[in-house]
Amino acid sequence: MIDVSAFNEALGIMFTSVGSWGWIVPGLIVGLVFSAIPGISITMAMAIVLPMSLYMDFFSAIVFLTSVYTGAGFGGSVPAILMNIPGSPSSFATTFDGYAMSQKGEHNEALGYALFASTLCGIAGYVLLLLVIEPLADIVLRIGPVEMFAVAIWGMMLLGSLGSTYISRGLLAAAFGILLGTVGMNTAGFTRGTLGLPVLLDGIAPIPAMIGLLAASQLLSLATRDYIIEAEGSREVSLRKILKGCWGTLKYPGVLLRGSIIGIIIGAVPGVGSSIGNLIAYAETKRTAKDSATFGKGNPKGVIAAESAVASGEGGSMATMLALGIPGGGATAILIAAFMMHNIVPGPSFIETQKPMVYAIILNNIVQAIVLLAVGIGFIYVASNIMKVRTRYVLPAILVIATLGTFAVTGEAAGPITLFVFALLGYALNRYQYPVSAVVVGILLGRMLETEFLRSYQLSGGNPLYVLERPGAMAIFAVMFISLAMTAWGKRKQNRAEAAEAEAMLRMQDEASHAHTPSKG
Amino acid sequence: MTDFTRRDAFKISAGGLAAVSGMVAMPSILRAATYPSRPINVIVPFATGGYNDRLSRAFMPYLEKELGQPLVIVNKPGAGTQLGNSYALNQPADGYSILCTSAAPYIPLTVLLQNAPYKVEDFSMINLPSRDYTLAATSSDGPVKTFAEVIDKLKKDPSSLSIGVQPASADYANMVLVFQAAGIDASKLRIVTYDGGGPARNATAGAQVDVGFVGGEGFLPLKTKIRPLAIFAAEKVEWYPDAPLIGSTGIKTDFVEGSQRGWAVTTKLRNEQPEIYKTLVAAVEKASKNPKSIETLKLQELATTWYGPEASDKAYLDNAAKMAKYVDLLK
Repeated sequence: MIDVSAFNEALGIMFTSVGSWGWIVPGLIVGLVFSAIPGISITMAMAIVLPMSLYMDFFSAIVFLTSVYTGAGFGGSVPAILMNIPGSPSSFATTFDGYAMSQKGEHNEALGYALFASTLCGIAGYVLLLLVIEPLADIVLRIGPVEMFAVAIWGMMLLGSLGSTYISRGLLAAAFGILLGTVGMNTAGFTRGTLGLPVLLDGIAPIPAMIGLLAASQLLSLATRDYIIEAEGSREVSLRKILKGCWGTLKYPGVLLRGSIIGIIIGAVPGVGSSIGNLIAYAETKRTAKDSATFGKGNPKGVIAAESAVASGEGGSMATMLALGIPGGGATAILIAAFMMHNIVPGPSFIETQKPMVYAIILNNIVQAIVLLAVGIGFIYVASNIMKVRTRYVLPAILVIATLGTFAVTGEAAGPITLFVFALLGYALNRYQYPVSAVVVGILLGRMLETEFLRSYQLSGGNPLYVLERPGAMAIFAVMFISLAMTAWGKRKQNRAEAAEAEAMLRMQDEASHAHTPSKG
Repeated sequence: MTDFTRRDAFKISAGGLAAVSGMVAMPSILRAATYPSRPINVIVPFATGGYNDRLSRAFMPYLEKELGQPLVIVNKPGAGTQLGNSYALNQPADGYSILCTSAAPYIPLTVLLQNAPYKVEDFSMINLPSRDYTLAATSSDGPVKTFAEVIDKLKKDPSSLSIGVQPASADYANMVLVFQAAGIDASKLRIVTYDGGGPARNATAGAQVDVGFVGGEGFLPLKTKIRPLAIFAAEKVEWYPDAPLIGSTGIKTDFVEGSQRGWAVTTKLRNEQPEIYKTLVAAVEKASKNPKSIETLKLQELATTWYGPEASDKAYLDNAAKMAKYVDLLK
């Protein structure tokens, strides 16, 4: 639990280094802008600014980098909501309801929901981190391949809620996505499907592939319109509506809480990105919601759930990094490098000897989340003006920026080529009504599914009863099946009730008509 | 927003164009007398934040001082350094591209296992200060206490302990060699493969696997969470003195040294531009011996030891030869 004297010292650090607070706003803006550009992920945004932080003193550098992290966590949802193109993989699930809302002319509200969910859950993640940083870190290390496989399966269940006209095509698309996700050298050192290209040894780069698949179909469908939203009256940018959305977030404490818990845990587990937290939180919220039928059609809960897991994942990921010196994901790997470049090695000894500093970092992140609220509203306000621009100007600009984004970070043509190939693929899939989002889910989860399943197999020596030795995995599977069963049960009851109601209505009509008949005759 | 996006697009594209035209305009031969007359690229075939990236960035100011020109770090990660290595070989041999990399075992491994289109001899080492060794370790609260215990248990029942290791690595070769030497049936072992040292270390520290065979240096931040069982080195390792040497465990086995990281150039440069090569070697030597650089790098747990080109090249080629000898174990 919290160490009071260290906490007081941390407050001291916070107030004596007020100069470093100046880095919060620039950091947030850098994060917001980079991650709003399709093709640049949170990790890349941080990798771009890492060398800059070398020239700052330690606390300023960490404040700056974590601000970029905080800003980037939200930035990706802006194009996701406005244009159905996720700015980074972690805002993929945000597109489902966010874009549907903006098509109804509720983009201001949707962005408000996303921002407030992001802020609140960001704070929640860090507050929890402040309290349980050490025990959490120990639990995280105990999570093994079987548990991770269970998490991956959980993520795959999102497929059920994507909805498509044909179930067979949806499943085929998902299988195809998983297959694409396993291209490259696997964890046991076998190489598959690289076509002899060395760039494919590390697998298909998920970001250009995702942008290609989603953006191509989306941009083509937008190209037939004059504006992103057709109705002229709904194109307005209104601060009042944004704030209304922010305020409305508070009506769903359950969604926020569930999203935060999922986000923190997924974020803390090394090697599982925030994109998976985003998918799972969305799927869970949809499945447990009473009005699950309206998800995907512009239900604010979908936006809130998806965003809450991304923001709180940051806190979880930081816990693993600070307590163990292990990166929870790409972004914290960059942070560790920044620590080391300032001669500080995060890990168990750091937390023991430098507790006030750890607390100061966490407190500063809470401050960042609050500042994000103000900066974010400004950013949304500016960004939403894209609605007022004709698509003939917007679309080419997006295409160019996305292509450059995939090229800029590594400076390899592989990024744009992947984007182009997957754009064609996305077009073909759309043309024949295969759900593109199922392919994306497959790409995002395929590698994890395979890797963890293979490791579980290796660890157990092929004995399926091994799962009985892993209470954690059994718990995850149990929760999963119970929640599935409850949903099925609920659906059944609902269907029955509906059928009974329909029958009753029919009978009433019948009786009514019978009652009429004699009087007529 | 349009204004912003368009302007941004122009900015990014202008930057890209400038970079491309810069590369095109690069004259392929420059007189050695004026070398270096412009910034030098340091190619790091790993992502930002890895050991080599940190090494290059920490060492940069001291090397810049000796060379009198700024250095630019170019990260070219992917395909187990093959992409970065190929990129380095494609640059003109004019001394404006040098490498900071885990030369061994990555270069030999890409050649042996990935059919990389270059030879081990295409690269020449300037100095490889960082030497890593395979460490067999277990979680600090694990039931196994010594390496002899591991061998005993596995001899009785090869599936009694699970083993975490990165396939196609020096660690993997060492694991197979030691089990062969001990007469353990390798086909019945429960080997769990990890696609990197980091995940394998986490699995070891978290007792996901009973014993992990991983490069030891990366374990240092997690030192309190693990128990070292045996380190695959000939003599006591400076940065992990309490790790028992494999020689002291009673098993006679050959072993491969782990990662050797540091500074390298293409052999083409060494042969065609001996003056430039000499300048580079002298600069790296001076910077490595600079007391300030030693102090700074030590604080970041980075190595600066000066072995020189001959010793470094020999260590690198020895590692490559051993890898080639045991390549069948790696497949």
